[in-house]
Amino acid sequence: MTPPSTDIARAEGATPAPGRPIRHARRHRLAWLRALPLLARHITRTMPWVTLLVGCLAGTIYLTIMAHVAGTSHTPLGQSSVRLAFLSAVAALAFVPRAWFRPVTQATPVPAWVAPVGHILLAAPVLAVTCWTQLRLMAHTIPPDPPGYAPAIYPLIAQLTGWCLLAVAAAACADRSRYADLGGAIAAPVSFAALALAWYAPVTARFLVEPPATTRGVTIAWYAIATAALALTCAVMRDHWHRYTRDRHRLSSPTAAHLLK
Amino acid sequence: MTATDGGLALGGAGAADPAGGAGGSRVTARSRALPLRMVLALAKAEAWLLVRSMLVLAGLVAGGLLIWLLLHPVQPLWWNAAWEIGAGQFAVAIAVLVAAQLAAGRADRDGMVDLYASFPATAGNRTIAHLTGLAGAVPASLLLLGAAAAVVDLRGAIGTPSSAVLAGGLLLVIAAGAAGIAIGRRFPHPMAGLIGALALFLSSTLFQGGSIWLLPWEIKHDDLSELPGPLAGYPPAGAHAAELASIAVLGGVVALLVTVNRGRARVGLATACILAVAVIGLAGAAQLRPIPTTELNHLMAEVADPASAQRCTTADQVRYCLYPGFGRDLPSLEAPVNGVLAHLPARPDQLLTIRQFVPIDFTQPALIDPTLTHGHPKRQIDQWYAQLQKAPFANAAASAIYLPVGQWPAAGAPLADAHFALALGAAEWAVHLPPTTSSRSGFQSCVAVDQAREAIAIWLAILATHPPAGQLQDGLHSPRSSHAIQATWVRNTLIPIWVYPRARYLASSGPPITAAGYMLAKGMTNLPEQKVARVLKGNWGRWVNWRTTDAQLAAALGIPTPSLRAVLRTLHPRGAGPTAPPPSNEQSPLCTT
Repeated sequence: MTPPSTDIARAEGATPAPGRPIRHARRHRLAWLRALPLLARHITRTMPWVTLLVGCLAGTIYLTIMAHVAGTSHTPLGQSSVRLAFLSAVAALAFVPRAWFRPVTQATPVPAWVAPVGHILLAAPVLAVTCWTQLRLMAHTIPPDPPGYAPAIYPLIAQLTGWCLLAVAAAACADRSRYADLGGAIAAPVSFAALALAWYAPVTARFLVEPPATTRGVTIAWYAIATAALALTCAVMRDHWHRYTRDRHRLSSPTAAHLLK
Repeated sequence: MTATDGGLALGGAGAADPAGGAGGSRVTARSRALPLRMVLALAKAEAWLLVRSMLVLAGLVAGGLLIWLLLHPVQPLWWNAAWEIGAGQFAVAIAVLVAAQLAAGRADRDGMVDLYASFPATAGNRTIAHLTGLAGAVPASLLLLGAAAAVVDLRGAIGTPSSAVLAGGLLLVIAAGAAGIAIGRRFPHPMAGLIGALALFLSSTLFQGGSIWLLPWEIKHDDLSELPGPLAGYPPAGAHAAELASIAVLGGVVALLVTVNRGRARVGLATACILAVAVIGLAGAAQLRPIPTTELNHLMAEVADPASAQRCTTADQVRYCLYPGFGRDLPSLEAPVNGVLAHLPARPDQLLTIRQFVPIDFTQPALIDPTLTHGHPKRQIDQWYAQLQKAPFANAAASAIYLPVGQWPAAGAPLADAHFALALGAAEWAVHLPPTTSSRSGFQSCVAVDQAREAIAIWLAILATHPPAGQLQDGLHSPRSSHAIQATWVRNTLIPIWVYPRARYLASSGPPITAAGYMLAKGMTNLPEQKVARVLKGNWGRWVNWRTTDAQLAAALGIPTPSLRAVLRTLHPRGAGPTAPPPSNEQSPLCTT
């Protein structure tokens, strides 16, 4: 709730009231920042914690079972197991950026993207802890003196970061589409399809999969994807309009034509 | 009038209260028929939604792509292709699971419970409609099955398809849909469907060994593509179909149990649930049975002593030995070999044998699919291993080319690559280079450094198959980088190597080809064929001698000796790493025979 201003805003076309100070009530662009402390509680409460935690825990439990199996069979877990285990966290993340009641929130002074962005920021530490836990589980199965060099972790972190931001971008796009009510149920499969395509298509695998790509190349490529996905997310969240496609044939039907006259 | 008036209606948590008490004696024929009609109408609507679901259509596309990825690099063999088509159905099944969960959870999602409760259809009826509506997933599954089968058949698949394996794919889709409905009725949040799909996807990585068959959707651990024929009980297709059908029934029963709250109905459903679990257990027990010993004995005999099973044909000093059913590959094998023979001034005395072999490495138990020998006593397994030590490739002959079963491509660019690989093998035999090197059998991978016969072999292979020049030129680069080459040390000299795609199609290629040899062969292809043939025919014995150098051949042909400097200037050697040569026992020997 915004406190009533002592100043009288000058509406367009209205005559100023005599004896009262006239000030043009041009709201500062960042005035909504003052509402953030009040919004924080709302954002925290509307955060889909259960979905996110279930997604993170499901993958971690799977990896725990895999680590147990690996321990009994004396076969260390590889990075591919961590990738597979992290998929459920990525799926859960696809449900996070959701602007509830967008038509209403768009009418308020606070931008509609504040809540989804707040949710994403709240999800980030949870995902980081999940990633750290899963990496620890993998490391636990590797013997202290492994033969040869252990693979570097930083490309994997870059890859998982890229996956997360891809899922966020897909979710943001889905939120502005006719599938907004399903949200992550659409965004997650779309993200998985994109990841599978990037992983298995020979053209993209040259840059994103190690080998044939180098460790540094994979890292750079995934961070580049993450940056692009972040830019796309920002653009989509700032977009004010729904982008529903309309059937032109339907519009050109006699009834529609009559209505449009 | 509500749906619960009828006797066929199943009471559910979301059902509206029956209007008028609903006494059984007052039920009219019309009211009795209404729930069934309602269920059918709802099922029709749900089926139509499933047919046009974007998720299912995406799953169909993904399934098609997966089948193509799995099948196009290998030879189409029905005993493998039917299983891989099932892998494509797995992608459809995952999509159907998510779509069915979304559909089943629709009523309970977004606070719509009260609205749906006000409708005539009870929750139980809606669940039955959802289960019946799974028929909407069948067209996608059948379309994928039919299209994949048609493509496999058009590519000239060997063998006959197993209806039980193909039916298993369809049952997998229905079972996944039923599981999705069960999940959706209990957990309407869309995330539950995704978790269920991920669980289905990841479950196949949890089991190892023979127990992997307990998951009929397992798509990775099998050696089917490398078997010379179908093997009874591998995979246990009938038990798989029974298990999947039972899982479908179980999913449906659980979905109804969640929604139905009438005592008698729940007892009946619980009984059905127990029966379904029992059938799943029985099917699981059947799947864990080992493959019959007689079948494995037959397979081991085919692998260890191919002559007992293969049919051999000899033509023009070349002997082709193929497993039964693979006879249709013979013309495709003869074409490149005959192309080489046609350009040969003289043929070696020794017979060239081109033989199929089973590429499963039975001599290293860790590399074998454990489901093959699962359940058999260790003594029996040791006996098989001892028998397999006599396998032909384990004792590879220098004058033989070994073709892995299931690796000969059907058509297109891979077939052209395979033709070139075989032609080069035959040409190496013709110039007295070993067409097969196997470290396991004691043949060291020698290198024909500065030997004219190497260039002649490449020239013969190029003439016989006419591969694209660009592809041959790419062999100078490392497959990892276009700015690197591969090299090997021979007698303290770093020798750049020419790499080309033949390892996939032959069990073991001949000696590594030097880049200098390839450059000379390339220069030879620029000359008139008759001129080169005349020079070679004039002194064939000299040219196939290992002491005759590239420079001598180039001088005889009147072309400059190719210089690698131009190539090496833009590239750097890869693989050799250090500038100092390794110890002599780690270097490749020179081919001197």
